[in-house]
Order: sequence, then structure tokens, then C-alpha cells
Amino acid sequence: MKFLTLLKKELKELLNFQTILTMVMMLVVLSILGEFMGGAMEESADSQAGTVAICDDDKTEFTADLINQIELSGYTIEMKENTSEDKAQLLDDADTDYLIIIPQGFTQSILEEKKTVDIEYISRVNNASVMSAVDSMDSASAVAIIQDAIFTTVMTGQYGIAIDELEFISMPVGVDEYTVVKDKSANASSAQIQSHMMSQSMLIPIVVFVLVIMASQMIINAVATEKLDKTLETLLSAPVSRFSVLGAKMTAAAIVALLNALVYMIGFGNYMKSITDMQGDLAAGTQATESVIEQLGLNMGMTDYILVGLQLFVSILISLSVSLILGALVSDAKETQTMILPITVLTMIPYMMSLFIDINTVEPAILRYVAWAIPFTHTFTAISNISFGNMGIYWAGFAYQIVFLAVCMFFAVKLFTSDKIFTISLNLGQKKKFKKNTK
Amino acid sequence: MVLEVKELSKQYSKVLAANKVSFSIEEGEIFALIGPNGAGKTTTIRMISTLIKPTGGDAIVAGFSAVNEPARVRENITYLPDEAGAYKNMTGNDYLNFMAGIFTTDLDKAREYVKRAQEICGLGERLEDKIGSYSRGMIRKLLLARAVMTRPKLAILDEPTSGLDVINAIEIRKLIKRLASEEKMSFLLSSHNMLEIEFVSDKVGIISKGKLHVVGKPCELKAKYGCDNLEEVFEKVVNSDEVSDIA
Repeated sequence: MKFLTLLKKELKELLNFQTILTMVMMLVVLSILGEFMGGAMEESADSQAGTVAICDDDKTEFTADLINQIELSGYTIEMKENTSEDKAQLLDDADTDYLIIIPQGFTQSILEEKKTVDIEYISRVNNASVMSAVDSMDSASAVAIIQDAIFTTVMTGQYGIAIDELEFISMPVGVDEYTVVKDKSANASSAQIQSHMMSQSMLIPIVVFVLVIMASQMIINAVATEKLDKTLETLLSAPVSRFSVLGAKMTAAAIVALLNALVYMIGFGNYMKSITDMQGDLAAGTQATESVIEQLGLNMGMTDYILVGLQLFVSILISLSVSLILGALVSDAKETQTMILPITVLTMIPYMMSLFIDINTVEPAILRYVAWAIPFTHTFTAISNISFGNMGIYWAGFAYQIVFLAVCMFFAVKLFTSDKIFTISLNLGQKKKFKKNTK
Repeated sequence: MVLEVKELSKQYSKVLAANKVSFSIEEGEIFALIGPNGAGKTTTIRMISTLIKPTGGDAIVAGFSAVNEPARVRENITYLPDEAGAYKNMTGNDYLNFMAGIFTTDLDKAREYVKRAQEICGLGERLEDKIGSYSRGMIRKLLLARAVMTRPKLAILDEPTSGLDVINAIEIRKLIKRLASEEKMSFLLSSHNMLEIEFVSDKVGIISKGKLHVVGKPCELKAKYGCDNLEEVFEKVVNSDEVSDIA
């Protein structure tokens, strides 16, 4: 009963108007962002496949055929005039962000002199965003378009080769790609699998990162504020056990953290859905990735999600117990923000590593052991371990997390049930100042 | 006897914060522990409140040992720390309801505690406002009302009027005196304010460097040291302690 009173109070403190508003805003922003990103991808995909801006300075029958051939390949051609030597001015006048210029003498070089000739390609960089890179066509693509058109025009026009034959000449070798995962194989490209797995497992590391930091911040603030305001002394001198006070704080922080997780999962799920739906639409006609994933045994079932959730929950509990100790070390309101630093660093390392490398196989081995020693690492790699059947690593990681949690809890309980909760502090700044003054 | 402190000691790694402190408090008595900063007042009070464990001696509160039965001791005391705050996001009423729920699981009893605290603090409609909007004096009144609402056998108040203006301080002193005389509640106070101690307390203990030097009624101590007021007694006791240390 008293525990419930304490829990209610802790929940009221943590779930105030600001935190609820933040959660709602996060949900709305992520959903809107997903719609926006999906729309932007669709638009860029349209623009990539759709339009090619060309300025024909050669103006021969051959270049006209060439442009006609590009149009026949499915592109919309926008013909532009070469109005200026200044490239920026030229793009401005042409009202485009990229332009292919076929130079004078192009036909003569190709057909008569049989010499390689440079086309000019101008593109504008407006910003450094990922989407801007997707929006613009690179020079290799521009050259490929022209080369394909030249190949077709020359072969059919000059040498009278039929289109069917031409297809064989241009691509005599095809590829039937298989991907193997453990003992299963599927008729699909590894790039296709990796792309899908990445989009699927992108959500968990972000949720883990946000949750661990958020839960830690909450508990550090809660303990530090109670200690600095001396409300902790009032509570602990009241007829209620210290375990109840400690337990209520941890339970409330865990509930709020999981609530946040749920909101993030829904919001990020919406965000990812908008993007993957778009990717699905774009990839229509290729082999269905979902069935390939299932064939390879990489799909996640309910049990798998429970296993991921289990490690996530243990990670939160670890961060909460470490934060209890860190919160108790605070002796000044300003230190509260600094105290989160050790947890941020320990979360950031496996987060970044899991995004770029496979932690389980990284070399030199010392890097792997350092990463595994961080308890949060195992949650970051949970999806990958479960999907690829590395259950030995999963359970070893889980056992390590439990031991780590038990040790942290032992120290947190020891601190809370001893005198140290009132006397311990870091006082780093003051110690430095003191040493300076005594020199 | 409500409190009997027997040779209570606390040794931190290098500091002896309390050195065999002994005194007692009768029912309805107001006992003041006075001493300079770092004298060991708060350490002694925290040991009696069961917040920290003594390294020697014991404090018996309403027949229960602070060392062996801390949970029973906490049922008979309330503690108001020096410069304590309250939960800023709660309203005054929320805070009183929460604290009442900590002291009892009986809803009727809890309601009675809250009603009593509402009357004692005199904050009226402001109890519906968030504590974050209260002045220091209002917070202190609220906390004091919380400390006495359960009618504890012993209320331990560390610097009960520190940082308060004259009017608020007088109100709080009057309240302590009234509760002791009318409701036979016992108080253990600590303070730097000698005038306050002289006015409010029945018995005084002067502590310095962890050692309780003298205990007695203010008038007895004044006569013993030939002083006009408690401030001079305090000065003489503390200075003699420093002289004996040098010697």
C-alpha cells in the first residue's frame, strides 16, 4: 500500500504535462516525417527516371537520332540552349539542376574519326543532405545514358543489327543470384537482403539509445533532486522501508521509459512504414523480399521479439541502477547534467559500432571484448544475433547482462541502505578548486 | 521518557563527528541542541532519526532502539531537515496527502492528519497551488505542519526557522510551544539562533566538536556561567572547549 503511494508519487513526478506533450509531439513528428520522406523519395525517383535535360551543340542528324533513342528508352527529354560560358548562368537560364551538353564535333569524332569524345555534364549542389544526393544524377549515369543511346543508334543505323540481337551483344551474360544464410538459401541478391534487414533493424538501436538515455536522465534527476531538496531525508526518516523508496523510483522510471519506448516504436514504425512502402512500390516487379526473408529464416516471430524485448528491459534496469548511484553522487544542481555522461558514452559506443560493423566478428579481438563488456551492446546486437541464429552469443550476452545488473543493484541497494546516501558526493570542481587554492 | 540518548558516537573515516553524546527528553519537553557549524548537531539528529547508523552508543525513542529497531523508531518520530524543500510539482494538499499516506494506510486517519496539517499551516486556499509557487516561509510552514500532523511522540526539527522573516519565525516558535504544552508533544530542535532557543526551549545542550559539553535549563546555565543570556553562555562553553583543545 505504501509502495503504491510512493509509486503514484513517482509516476506523477515523471509523467508531468511536459513529458506527455513530448511523447505526443514525438509521435506526430515521426509520423509526419515518414510521410514527408516517403513523398520526397517518390519525387526524386520520378525525377531520376523521368527527365533528362540536354543541350545539343552539335545539332546533327546523328545527335537527333541519339536524343530520339534516349526518349525511346523511356526518358522525357528537355531540350535546352547553350546560352552562356558561365556554367552557373547556364543552369539558371536552362532552369535545371543538371544538364548534359553534347559538344560541337561530337558526331564527327564518333562516326568519322572514331575517337573518344567528352560530353559535358553540369550539376548543381544545393545542400549536403542525403536526399539532395538522391535527387541529382551523377556523371556516370549521364555518360551511361549517352553511351547506351550511341551503341543502339550506331549498331542499328550504321551496321543494321536488329534490336533483339543487340540486346544479346550488349549483355551476353546475365546473373542468377543466390544468397545463403546458415543452411538456407534463396534466389535473391545479398544486397536486397541486407537492405531489407537494415531497414528492419534500424528501429531497435535508436529505441535502445533513446530509452537508456531517457531512463537514466529521469532517475538521476529524481534522486539528485530528492537529495538536494532533502526530501529524501524526510522520506527515509518516515515509517517506510528504503527498499520501497528505491523500488518505487525504479519501477516508475521503468514504466515511463517503456511508455516512451512504445510511443517511439509506434512513431518510428509509422516513419519506417512510409519509407518501406515507398521502397516496395519502387521495387515492384522484382522478387518479393518478404518471402525471400522468410525462406532464409531471417523473419522475426513473436518469440524473437520477446527475446529482444527481454534484453531491452534488462538494459533499462541496468541503466536505472547505475543512474541511482550517479544521482546519489550529485552535490550540486549543475552536476545533474554531467552525471549522464558515463551512460551516454557507454551507449554511444555500441550504438555507433552496431550501425557500421558486425561487433561479433570485429578485429582485433580486443575491440570485440571491449564492446561485449559494455552491457548495452548485447541489446544493440540482439536482432542481428537472433535473426542469424547466433543464439549462443545472445544467451551469453543475456547472462552477462543479468550478472552486471545484479552487481549494479547490489551497489545501488548498499548505497541506499547505508549512511553514504547522505554523505557521498563527487565534488570534482570543488576538489580541483581546493587543490589550486592550497598550492 | 520519550528520548534517551546514550553515549551516541559517529566516526567517519578521519573525523569523530559525535563523541559519546548523552541527553534525554521528557514528554512535552522542548530540547535544543546548539553549537557552531560542524559541531555535530545534524549528525546527532540524523542518528536519532535512524538516517545514519551510530558507530557507538544508542538512542532509545519511545522505548525503541534506533540501532536495533529503526523501523519502530520511525513510527514514533518525524524529522524536518534543515533547509528542506518539498516536491515542487505537487500542490500543498497533494504533498500533505502523500505524506499522510506514508505514515498510515488507514484512509480515515490519513484524512484526519491532512485536516490537522491544513489547520496548522494556515495556508488556506494556497494549498491548492503548486509548491513551486510558494515562498520560503510558506514551504517551511507546510513542512512543519507535515512534521506535527501525525502527533509524533518526538518531532525532530533541524533549524526550524532558518531563513525565515521575523513574523514567520515567531509564528513557528509559538506553534512549537503550543504543541508541547497542549498536546504534550516532545521536540528536539537544533538552531544557531540563541534568542529563539532561549524563548522556545525547556532544556539546552551545547555541543562543540562532536562533544556535548553542558545540558540544562537556559536559566540554570545562565546562573552557572554568570551570563545575562544564552549567547554568552554559548560563547564561554565553546571558547573553553577551544582553549582545552590547545592546552
